[in-house]
Amino acid sequence: MLFLPEGSQDETGEILDNKATTSAIFREIAQARNFKAIATPVVEYATTFTNKHVGMKLHRMLKWFNRDGEIEVLRVDWTTAIARALMKQQSPQTKWFYEGSVFRNDKDGIESKQAGIEIIRTEAFLGEVESLLTAVAYLKELGISNYLIELGHTGIFDEIVASLNLDEADTKKLREAMHDKRRDIVYEIALAHGTEKQVTQLTQLVDAYGSVTELRNYQSIWKDNPKLTKILDHLIELANLLEQSGVDEVIIDLGRVKNLPYYSGTMFRGYVKTDGETCFSGGRYDKLYEQFDEKISAVGLAFDVDVLAKHLQQVQAKPHICILADSKTHVQAEQLRASYSNAVVDIQYEQVAAEQYDKIVTVDDEIIFSKIGD
Amino acid sequence: MKPTIALTKGRLEKQFIAFLESIDFDVEPLVNKGRKLRVETDTLQFIFAKGPDVTTYVEHGIADLGIVGGDILAEFQPDVYNLFPLPFGHCRMAVATEQGQVWSNQKKKIASKYTGITKEFFKDKGESVDIIKLEGSVELAPILGLADAIVDIVETGTTLKENGLVIKEEFFSFSARCIANRSSLKIKRAELTPIIDIFQKQGGNL
Repeated sequence: MLFLPEGSQDETGEILDNKATTSAIFREIAQARNFKAIATPVVEYATTFTNKHVGMKLHRMLKWFNRDGEIEVLRVDWTTAIARALMKQQSPQTKWFYEGSVFRNDKDGIESKQAGIEIIRTEAFLGEVESLLTAVAYLKELGISNYLIELGHTGIFDEIVASLNLDEADTKKLREAMHDKRRDIVYEIALAHGTEKQVTQLTQLVDAYGSVTELRNYQSIWKDNPKLTKILDHLIELANLLEQSGVDEVIIDLGRVKNLPYYSGTMFRGYVKTDGETCFSGGRYDKLYEQFDEKISAVGLAFDVDVLAKHLQQVQAKPHICILADSKTHVQAEQLRASYSNAVVDIQYEQVAAEQYDKIVTVDDEIIFSKIGD
Repeated sequence: MKPTIALTKGRLEKQFIAFLESIDFDVEPLVNKGRKLRVETDTLQFIFAKGPDVTTYVEHGIADLGIVGGDILAEFQPDVYNLFPLPFGHCRMAVATEQGQVWSNQKKKIASKYTGITKEFFKDKGESVDIIKLEGSVELAPILGLADAIVDIVETGTTLKENGLVIKEEFFSFSARCIANRSSLKIKRAELTPIIDIFQKQGGNL
């Protein structure tokens, strides 16, 4: 068969080199910040991801029945798998990093490569700042500077909605409408269940995104609600810290809602400004560990390696040199090859097309063709 | 780069242009575009596509904003910001059968362009049906015996009537909507907000 299933792809050359570079830099940065590597297997039980604490949809997973009739899946999500793995570790280590693919049926291409970090059992602000600044340091090292970071918090929607006394179905509908910034539906549900003040509060939330300066007025709007004020102060503090650390643009989306049940607090996302692609996302998910009856603080983020590799600043390409030899002079050619330290050197037996190389030489290093200086 | 707006070709396009005209927008380049599918004005770029493709262009960030029917959004559920309704393109979704048709107790065949909406609707009702996907002229299906009923959008009801069909049940009403790419809305906020504000205000929304 010469064909590939939809969503699968072969990769060659530059994109693979870029991925290797992003990986090497990632390991270096993570290890230098005291993160330790962790890997979980590619095959897991579906219930690891579908149980009510995690709440991922089975129909999006690549799955099959094992011999005992249990459903197994290809790794859907690193964070969930790592939480499971860490529960069995008796390690005092709090900072972990991982690299590898996740498999879902709903993305462009079923396989997407991720690299990420997890920080557990760490004071909340410290954990969040360390996650974000690791992202900043990594992007800087990759030469990606044209990005913006967005901050959000699950507590804002939850707090405002708690006062509405909605049933589960309406809460879900409202959360979806907020996720889609679907103003008319948010208004409709709020109007049916809330006071005038609550209606205003919720519909305002749809448009409550922008820079820290633009959102300062929410401090006065929410001044009577200590929970909301505290969340807003927290987000502003994070945003200020990022700006002091050299991030050009930080925005806050107060109306952002969680799309998985285990998120519980601050949420982050990095966008590449040139094409709007998401280069990393993550946040706090203390709730994830409640499934193991543990009260553990946990925060982290995952980079989309495919996006990073695409935007990686290209280092200047090495010159391509061809040494023309034959079977008798191959050893001599190999010795000559060693003298070209910072170049890509090819040995060929037959005359080659000049456009494939920057320089073509004989085994005696006589130049046959060159478009570069010596 | 100028903000790009994807417009649904055909009926919605005409209604949208009339809407733009009503808010004193210079629509000349849009009206006299000939067969061009891409038109630039001083401040904006417009692209013209079929409804489902408008959602695709917006989802992929090729277009920042889109004008598309609510029926298309309900059917295809693209991952976009589904911002607000616009004051045109109103229609209802309805189940229609042939006049005098006895609604049998057997598992029914339903013909529709909107297979996703149809599936959800009957699932919510707790009724199992077989769905037959058609691309158009759905009204033919019950008359020719392909299906027991159809699910389709109804504006005035004239087409149904002329083909001897009657509405059995109406279940959704839609209008055209303004959608936005999830990243564009954040990244190009300064450029997009004025456009969105005008559409929203003139649309008589909140």
